[in-house]
Amino acid sequence: MAKEIEPKRKQSMPPIGAWAPAVALGWLVPGGGHLLLKRTGRGLLLGASITGMFVCGLLMRGAMFQPQSGDLLTTLINTGGFIGDVCSGILYLLTSWLGYAQADMAGAVHDYGTKFLVTAGLLNVLAMVDAFEIAAGRKD
Amino acid sequence: MSMNLSHFEAALLFSLFTSVVLGIVTKSTDRQRLHYGAYVFACFMVALFGIGWIMRLGHG
Repeated sequence: MAKEIEPKRKQSMPPIGAWAPAVALGWLVPGGGHLLLKRTGRGLLLGASITGMFVCGLLMRGAMFQPQSGDLLTTLINTGGFIGDVCSGILYLLTSWLGYAQADMAGAVHDYGTKFLVTAGLLNVLAMVDAFEIAAGRKD
Repeated sequence: MSMNLSHFEAALLFSLFTSVVLGIVTKSTDRQRLHYGAYVFACFMVALFGIGWIMRLGHG
């Protein structure tokens, strides 16, 4: 008899109270979700890496994206970049509140800086997903 | 205050930060995390030097 393939069980969504604080804190403070879940070493490393990348982006005078409409590519790049920037949480908020407004300039270093700023936000999204999985009990 | 890095230095920093985060979030034990982080960093370096040489050779 052929071995029956066991259907993959759908994982149920854990209650929002179990993971929302870790994910929200993880967004606001990079690595904060892990710290809340008592994964101190990982939280500190994530915080240092994401903050380091963001600060390097600022020191390279990278530009922050603003949502813009226009043709599809312009909308996609600017809105996507803006979402990436916002995902850095308090780093983005502080930078905006303190008036950082670097114009998008030509030059390799500025360009790297812009990418560093967006990537810091995207790495923070990965850290938030990891915090969610830990809080939901899907990962140690 | 500003930072004026070369292409190589900027790419090296980018690789380092990204490797640390990817190593932490994708694996489940510390040993696996260290290995995967080092592997990702090595991949970045291979791509950096490989693509760099391709551009140099292609440029003539």
